[in-house]
Amino acid sequence: MIGFVPYFIKVPQVNEFANTLTNISSVVGQFTIVIAIYSQYRRSLRFIRERRKGWVYNIYLLTFMSLMILIGFTWGEHNATYMWLVNSIVAPCSSVVYGILAFYMFSAGARAFRARSLKASLLIVAGVIVLLYQAPLTGSYIPGLSPYATFLTETVGMSLNRMFAIAIITGAIMLNVRMLTGRELAFLGFAREEES
Amino acid sequence: MGKEGVNLLKLMATYDKRWGYLLLFILVLLPMIKPIGMPISVSELTKEYYEQLQTLEEGDIVLDSWSTEYSGYMELKPGMIATHKYFIKNGIKIFICLGHPEGLALVGALLEDELKGYMEAYDYTYGEDYIILGFALPNQAATLAMATDFQGSVKVDWKGDSIKGTFLDRVETGADIDMIADFTTAAGNPGLINHIVLTFGTPMIQNQIGVSLPGSYMNLDAGLITGLLASTRGGSELELLIKEPGPGLIAMDAFTLGHYLLIILIVIGNIGFFGWTKKVSEEMESTTIR
Repeated sequence: MIGFVPYFIKVPQVNEFANTLTNISSVVGQFTIVIAIYSQYRRSLRFIRERRKGWVYNIYLLTFMSLMILIGFTWGEHNATYMWLVNSIVAPCSSVVYGILAFYMFSAGARAFRARSLKASLLIVAGVIVLLYQAPLTGSYIPGLSPYATFLTETVGMSLNRMFAIAIITGAIMLNVRMLTGRELAFLGFAREEES
Repeated sequence: MGKEGVNLLKLMATYDKRWGYLLLFILVLLPMIKPIGMPISVSELTKEYYEQLQTLEEGDIVLDSWSTEYSGYMELKPGMIATHKYFIKNGIKIFICLGHPEGLALVGALLEDELKGYMEAYDYTYGEDYIILGFALPNQAATLAMATDFQGSVKVDWKGDSIKGTFLDRVETGADIDMIADFTTAAGNPGLINHIVLTFGTPMIQNQIGVSLPGSYMNLDAGLITGLLASTRGGSELELLIKEPGPGLIAMDAFTLGHYLLIILIVIGNIGFFGWTKKVSEEMESTTIR
């Protein structure tokens, strides 16, 4: 709660204390990378050992993860081999995943918008107005769409997004408390997960 | 006729989604190869972002935060190029801080591949006009340290060379930074707002990817950021405003056609839904023995 106070009341001492807490949490947070690496090795090795679906991809994952860690720690981030891995493996893979997402989102959009009910119909109308506005050509020829699209995005969309953000943050706080008190261990790889 | 009509409706309801992928692929690819040059409008959002850029004066110092991975860069690229061209052309001094490990790849992709010629043309030199600090903003703690004691927390650039004797000597705290330019995906680095904007009142502009825009709209609405450049579309509009056509304007034809295709497929899907899917399910319900 101390972290919230400086946003509403200007008390330098409280602000400083909140900053210190943020500082501590950030530093502690960096150490969680060790747990993340440990969990990933543990999980992937189990997949490989038990020959679960997709186990071959786990070999690929572990190989490149180990390679990046090894080269990064040994020769540093400006080493030519490390930079080659970043520029020739990580960057293209990252772009491909992003590019593929566009197709999935496109397909999901085209299939999800069905006027099954009044609410769904309203969603379609709103969606089409925003899509038309977002298409640069329509924005140029039909400027009258702008106030409607802006209202939908900045009023309706933003309020929903705020609600979404509050829900996620509340959920994250609860999850963190459960993890810290040892009630949620599967995420950390310390409890046996269900067969996927 | 009736049977053909029904078949057409069935096709509209049950077409293979891969046809949609193929059409999208073609519609995106063709204008990239041969741009059509459709007109575009400039949104108020981009005009405000541009007005914020215009408040900068020659010699002003900008914290240039790249909190994006390589994939996000593909969407932010037009905005990043246009904004940096503005910085270069107007003699704005920038220090680049990466907020994502993949940012290393962007240094070469943006500064070497896209802006090298432009920087040479305006005699924009390393150390004098811009400095790369590397992965300097990984979290809030680093941002806080930089904001409160810049000289104590940053001593070398990304290659380990001292920053003494450069324009960064003028920066003691966040108050000495004239603007923050944040190029980010998702939430980016909240430390920039928490420890620099809120503490020192430094103006901050942001170039954000499309799916994360609602989150940035909230910050814009609250006055935490003063300018927002929306995705590739915003980048192309900025190219138009600064009169430097680039990859954004080339992409806008594909952008328009992709949006129209999606609307057409939504309409087709709904015709198929009412003409086939709903009819078939109603018939099945009426013939079911209860």
